[in-house]
Amino acid sequence: MGWLEVHTENYMGGGRPLEFLTAIRRDYAISLHGVGLSLGSAEGIDRKHLEAVRRVAERLDPCAVSEHLSWSVVGGIYLADLLPLPMTEEALRVICRNIDETQERLGRTILIENPSSYIRYRHSTIPEWQFLDAVTVRTGCNVLCDVNNIYVSACNHGFDPLAYLDGLPATRVGEIHLAGHTARTLANGATVRIDDHGSRVIPAVWSLYDAALARFGRVPTLIEWDTDVPDLSVLVAEAAEAQRRLDQTGRRTGNAAEAA
Amino acid sequence: MPPKLLEVQRAFGDAIFRDEARLADHIADNGIAAADRLRIYRNTAFSVLTDALRLVYPSVSRIVGTEFFDGAAAFFIRRHPPTDAYLGNYGGEFAKFLSGFKPASGVRYLADVARFEWALNVAANALDAAAVDPTALASLPPSAHDAVRFVPHSSVSLLELKYPADRIADAVMARDDTAMAAIDLDSGPVWLVVHRGVDGVEARRFGETEWQFMARLCAGAPLGAVTAAYPQVKAGPLLADHLLRGRFCRFSVSRELPEETS
Repeated sequence: MGWLEVHTENYMGGGRPLEFLTAIRRDYAISLHGVGLSLGSAEGIDRKHLEAVRRVAERLDPCAVSEHLSWSVVGGIYLADLLPLPMTEEALRVICRNIDETQERLGRTILIENPSSYIRYRHSTIPEWQFLDAVTVRTGCNVLCDVNNIYVSACNHGFDPLAYLDGLPATRVGEIHLAGHTARTLANGATVRIDDHGSRVIPAVWSLYDAALARFGRVPTLIEWDTDVPDLSVLVAEAAEAQRRLDQTGRRTGNAAEAA
Repeated sequence: MPPKLLEVQRAFGDAIFRDEARLADHIADNGIAAADRLRIYRNTAFSVLTDALRLVYPSVSRIVGTEFFDGAAAFFIRRHPPTDAYLGNYGGEFAKFLSGFKPASGVRYLADVARFEWALNVAANALDAAAVDPTALASLPPSAHDAVRFVPHSSVSLLELKYPADRIADAVMARDDTAMAAIDLDSGPVWLVVHRGVDGVEARRFGETEWQFMARLCAGAPLGAVTAAYPQVKAGPLLADHLLRGRFCRFSVSRELPEETS
């Protein structure tokens, strides 16, 4: 394994978890992947939470800091999920303002990940890939391209996943996520794909990963698996499969990519 | 006019925690009803928060059983949704909630077990802070001792419980039915100090007056006044125990509020 990624929020306390992670950090590069900043909140981000992210980053000196193209907080209440934004000019202004503040406070460029989603707002006017591209242009942030999330959302909403990949700014993709998901059949027979990080990456997502590598080059890739965590050997085998596909990809200048 | 983002987000919050339907007006149907789509998000939120509560309250969950715990958690989450995306701090009101939760009234010690487990959680998650160096204290002139005030480490909780919740939680977590059966629920109150020291999280029992002595110190009262208030307490050994186990993170010598010392 080349590197490891943790949820920033799991290390905001002190004691053993942070002590162990600090020890691991001596041997591995660590990426901090946040789920709680709520960059899409119309009311702005929680400064206390941003300060906690800054504190963890200062302690661990991570190789990357990432968050999501989503929101989770309204009226001071945390909704405990990565919720989709309406794809509108207003939401674009909001998230760019919050990313600007985050990058300024952290003193670094962050990566923004496309979430999976199960709803679409009637008043959305911008395709998600265009929205994400505009975010990178306006804030200078990079993209964490979650290939599984693109696949999940494409199935749930009926868009072409390759069009999504084509719409992303190739040189700004700094990390890729892969994961397993679940297809759930509802009472009316319709299927919804749910991003639950609890199984192997499916073949269709591996194919989409190849398509992503063909467009973005050798980009560091992470296997996300955080429910029903399997034996380490299973996880390592998934990372090795990603590494194999990375190794078959043409080298992008100056970028040594590894799977984790 | 499209709805403002803040209005959409408020409607989403109300859909998750209050089952309100108005968000559905803004969601495309596309073969699956908006209510079914929103249920996915509600299920995730409740599952994440219920798991967070179970991590903090494992003994409570075992005592009442998973299904009952999930049900109680669902009521609790609606009444006390998290105000912080850092869930290590979530669920501090659960003991108070349980003490008023009628379906749990048959387990009279349940709220005390929750109080105890919350203190363990606070101790486990408290931010790292160096303990007071006892030699720094020893170097003070004796005339200054009475004016010393301490600041407890943020991991410290002082608990006065009606039931022996510490023993109950130990027996429950060890699945030790014999130990559980041996616990006398009417043995009287217990006074505990919970904190995280160099050896990890510790919960220690104290006598009532020794516990009050510590409670006064933690409230910032000067050492001289506290020792005078509890003449029967062996202040030296007790203070040494608190210092060596790292229960204080700062002290000051003044009649004023404690300030940082180095």
